[in-house]
This record gives sequence, structure tokens and C-alpha cells, in this order.
Amino acid sequence: MTRTRLALSAAALALAAGFLPGAAMAQGKVLKFVSWQKDERGVGDWWGSVIKEFEATHPGVKIEWTKVERGAYADTMTTLFAGGKPPDIVHLASFEFQKFADNGWLEPLDPYIKDSKLDLKGWAGQDTCSWNKQTVCTMMLYFGYIFAYNEDLLKKEGLAVPKTYAEFLAAAQKLTKDVNGDGIVDQFGTGHETKGGGGQYMSEMMNYTLDAGGRWTNDAGKVTINTPEMIEGLSRWKTIVKTSLTPRDLAAGEVRQMFADGKIALKMDGPWLYPIIQKGKAKDQIKLGMVPFKPPVGGSSNVLGIAADAPKENKKLVWDFIAIATSDKFQSSYATLGASPPPSPRADTSAASKDTPHFDLLMQATKAAADAKVDRIPKGLELQFNEFAKMVMEESQRMIIQDLDPKAVAATMQAKAEALQKQ
Amino acid sequence: MPRSAFLDLARPSRRHWLGYLLLAPAVLLIALIIVYPLFVSVDLSFQNVNIARLDQPRRPFTTANYERLFASEDFWNACWVTFKLVTIVSFFCFLLGLGTALLVNNRFKGQALARLLVALPWAIPEVIAVVIFAWLFDSSFGLMNWLFIKLGLVDQTINWFSSPDAAFAVVCTVMVWKGYPFVSIMMLAGLQSIPEDFYNAAKVDGARAWQRLVHITIPSLMPVIGVTLVLVMLWVFRDFSIIYVLTGGGPLKATQSLSIMTYEQAFGFFKMGYASAIGVITLIVCVIASRLMIARAPDNI
Repeated sequence: MTRTRLALSAAALALAAGFLPGAAMAQGKVLKFVSWQKDERGVGDWWGSVIKEFEATHPGVKIEWTKVERGAYADTMTTLFAGGKPPDIVHLASFEFQKFADNGWLEPLDPYIKDSKLDLKGWAGQDTCSWNKQTVCTMMLYFGYIFAYNEDLLKKEGLAVPKTYAEFLAAAQKLTKDVNGDGIVDQFGTGHETKGGGGQYMSEMMNYTLDAGGRWTNDAGKVTINTPEMIEGLSRWKTIVKTSLTPRDLAAGEVRQMFADGKIALKMDGPWLYPIIQKGKAKDQIKLGMVPFKPPVGGSSNVLGIAADAPKENKKLVWDFIAIATSDKFQSSYATLGASPPPSPRADTSAASKDTPHFDLLMQATKAAADAKVDRIPKGLELQFNEFAKMVMEESQRMIIQDLDPKAVAATMQAKAEALQKQ
Repeated sequence: MPRSAFLDLARPSRRHWLGYLLLAPAVLLIALIIVYPLFVSVDLSFQNVNIARLDQPRRPFTTANYERLFASEDFWNACWVTFKLVTIVSFFCFLLGLGTALLVNNRFKGQALARLLVALPWAIPEVIAVVIFAWLFDSSFGLMNWLFIKLGLVDQTINWFSSPDAAFAVVCTVMVWKGYPFVSIMMLAGLQSIPEDFYNAAKVDGARAWQRLVHITIPSLMPVIGVTLVLVMLWVFRDFSIIYVLTGGGPLKATQSLSIMTYEQAFGFFKMGYASAIGVITLIVCVIASRLMIARAPDNI
């Protein structure tokens, strides 16, 4: 009797498998997803919630989520793609996806967008995802810098919150001092990363170049560094770094920690600064506001795409994953969990505004940067971005170390950037 | 019968086959993980490739990567930086290594502990050592600046990683600190193999400590010194993590060695054909330098 039941069950299962090929195919399927944000508080939790939703709505399909450190990310992804084993769900920084797209490694998303009727109108930073007139990714974050200042340190010096570059410079000069009298400056007016990658170095500089009215390139992609505005911006950067109003040779994380611990008075940074402030010694002294510069630094951050080499059935599943991540529901939860402005204009951010006291400020900063069309990746130099950023960093360092005239440095940068474009 | 005789590895005429057979797995493995990538690298260096893929069709043959490389100021700068690093680090590693080996070769109380301390830097992972040194030399809050100011050696803090000379000095310091224990261990092993009779005879002849060092210790150590120097030189040549974590090759390419340049071109700028050309040149320089060192050394090396 038992044997008969078993045989019948087996036959029924075999039949079901035969009649439902899609279901059988999905059984035990694993999609690979590599990201540097896995353990990040907030945004990592949000990715986790997207994966949970995907697995719940796609029985039998699992997502294998692997963390790769940001420092090794470009190498790892390049190796995976070059070896013909790319992750199905492709997560890249917005300044590095262009090389992958240019190699044809990212699946064009336009047919998927059309089929699913995903409305990307007004989606912050989405223009960046267009490569050779095709949409190859969806933008997952566009941000604007906010201004954080240590109110106690300002009050001690009788300073008001700076509203312009001149006020900022005066405040930074007054706040940079040797507090304990050991001959070493231990409190800084402001803080910038001056060690590490060219991309971050450029972002730090842009606080000053944008306020001076300078841009690396214009809307047509023509290099515009050798202009009076950029020269003024370079002069400002030189003043801040050469006179050590910022600690020297520190990575971005170290500068943020110093600010959170009350050793730096004024700091311009992205939405990720807030969680660090919350864990710092000076968290009660730190207040947030709009940056004293116009427009604020802003830019696209990270993108999501589909590997062109992924099997056809996987591509459809990856699109389902992207559709969940870009849905109104999950864009709204992105605001709450990630405490960052979501790129979707349809996201409901009311809960995030209640949970995160400065959320409206983040929205305002993002809008200000987006309205001014600010991005860290200069138009016309997308493919050469890493080389361009490295060149900008080196020429700026040369200007500071060798005390060069910003006018001459701007001319050198202009020539080198134009040569890069011609490569 | 003839078949079994063919496979009879115990036969004197077939005995060497067993050796080849036992070596075969290692040879195949080396061919797979060293020789094959080497050939791929050489092949890539003659193609105009940005991001390389093994399944993509081969691009046309070109010597453009090498032409660009030899015309590049950055390449010659990287060669000069690598040469300076190899010379300075190898020299100081040798001096410190030999000095500490001579010291801990003597019998004294706490000799075992002293030997352990000498070897300690070698056991610390490179990245951890570099992070420690990065904080020691931090421009704003580092111990070295505090110490130099307290000792009155400087009146304001040194920006260790913003000055090309200072950054190069810091890289050399960390490399010497990390590399000298290896020399010390090798020298200690060499020292212990020198018969005591040599020294006793020299003492009877009235030789002083310096004379014993120059006429007995150093000549007896020559085989060890030669091999050790080649190994240290090759280590400095290919070392990547110390420079990468400490300075990333900067400032102003003051610490950009050939290995850093190769990495930057391959994974920073995704120019793998060009990066392969740098790698091939580095390999050739390494082979020539090693060969020259071995060839110029005494016959007993």
C-alpha cells in the first residue's frame, strides 16, 4: 500500500515537473549578487529587505549575496567579468559602470523597462545610466552634500554659522588651533580627504570649485578647467590645504571620525555622515544645515544592472529584482531604512521625515545639487574618469607641494584633460 | 611481457622515468598557474586591449604598448623609484640583518627572547604593519611628529605623506623594518654553520674582532649573503601592499614603483594591454638583475 502511494506521488511529481517546466527550472536556481554595501547599516538592511521580498515572490530562487570591500571592488568585478563569470545582478559605482557598459557587459534595459512600464521620469541621476543611447542601469542613489558644524566650537570662538566662502574661511582659520599647547595643531577648522583615490579628492575640491562657478567640463563635454572660475576654485582649495585648515594625509573615514569626535569644526559631506556622527563623542554638539556654498556638491552614487552574459532565464529574474528595488514601496522604505533620499520621485518619504530629523534637509540638498546638474563624473570624461581624477589630484598636490600658481595649474590640467579625451 | 618490461620502473634504464613521473604533477601545476598566465600576459602586451577577456577574439598585433611605455615619463620615473627602493632597502636590510644576527649569535642572558624580537616583524602581516606605521607617521596625530617636536628636531609637524622625499623615506623605513628579519634569520643560520675552530685559530694569531669579521665571518657567509640579497631584491621589486596601503604610489608618483604602476594601469585605468607590457618589462629586468647578481658572485654561491 505504502509502495503504491509512493509510486503515485512520484508519478504525480514527475507529471507536475513535465507540465510546469518554468517551475521546475526555477527550483534550486541561484542568482549571484555582489555588493560592497552588504554590511552597511541602513542601506545594507534595505538590500536585505529587497532580497527577502524577491525570494518570497519567487519560490525556489535564492539570491547568493556576497560582500566585496569597496577598495577591491573594481578589481574583483573586472576579474569576474573578464573570466566570464559575472554576477547576475550587477551592482556598480556610478563612476565605474561606463567601462563595463562600453565593453558590452551590461544588458540594455530598455525592453524590460518598456515591458514592465517602469516610469523613470524624474528619477534622480537616471540620465547618467544612458550609454550609447541605451539604458544600461538604474540609478540607486543621487545625493547632495549637507553642512555639519560643531556648534559648541563655533560659540566658543564667538562665530556665527558661515553662509559664504569668505565667512567659512574666516571661521576655519579661527577654529584651527593647538588646544593643549604641545606645539601640534589638534583642532581643525574643516576636514577633507587628501589621501586616497582621485575620485574622492575631486569631490572634496568641488566644494570650492563649484562655489566659485567652475566646472570640469561644460554640457557639451568640452573641458573648461582653464577658466577664471576654476582658477578661483583651485586657489581656494590651495588656501584650505596649504595652510592646514584641514588635517593632512587622512582618508575620508578618518576625517569623518575626527569630526564626529569634535576635532574638526565644519564639514561638508553626504548623507552617510549622519550615522557616523551618531556614534561620535561630539554628537550632541553637532548640528546640520545647508552648505555655505552654492551649489552643493552632489552626484550619482551606485547603479544596478543585468550582466549581458547571464543566462536568458536569469536576466528575467534579475529584472524582477530590479523591479522590486525600484518599486514605490521599496523606494519609500529606502528613505526610511537608508536614511537617504531615494531617486524615485514617487517615493513616500513622510515616514522617513518623521524618523530622521534631518531628512527634509537631505531632500533639499539633493534637489539643490540636482537642479544645478552637479555630478562628480564630468560629462565627456566618463570613460577616462579614473585617469582624469588621478590627474586632477596629482596636479593639485603639485600646486600645494611646489607652491605653484593656480593659473598655471589650471592650464596644465586643461591640456592633460584634453589629451585624455583624445585617447 | 614486453608491456610489463616497458612499465618496469625498477629497471636501471627506466629508473629516471620514476623521477619524471613524480615531478609531473608539480610541473603541470606550475605550467598552469605560472607559465600559462605568463604567456597570456606577453600576448596581451602586444594587443591594444582595455579590459581583457579570454573568450574575446585576439586583437591585431601591435607594438604600440611598448612604444608608448618607452616614451612615457611615468614609466622611467617608476623604473628610477624601483631602482632606488631596491638599492636602499636591500642595503639597509643587509646591514641591519647582519648586525642583529651577529648580536643574537652571541651567548647572553635573554638570547632566546632577543632572537624572537628580531624575527617578530617578519611574522606580522604586511598590511597590519603598514597600518601601524601609517599612524606612527600620521601628519596630524602621529607619534613621530610628537617625538620630533619634543626632541626639538623640528619646530612644526612634518607632512610625511604630502612630501615626496618624506613619503619615500617612510616607505623605505617600513620595507626595511619588514625585510631585515629575513636577512637576520638567514645570516644567523649561516653564522651557526661557521666552525668555531676558525675563530679560535684567528684569536691565537692575534686577530681582532673586526679582522675576524672581515676575514672569517663575511667570506664564510658569502654563499648565504648572495642568495639572501637576490631574494630580498626580488621581494622589494615585486612588493605591492606596503606602498599601496601607505602612499598608493604618491605623492607626485614619488613612491610609484613598477608593480604599483602595473596595478594602476590594469585595475585603475583598465588598460590591460599596457599594464601587461609593464609587467613583461618588470619580469625581464628582474631576470637580468638576478642573473647579474648570481653571475658576479663568487663560484661557491
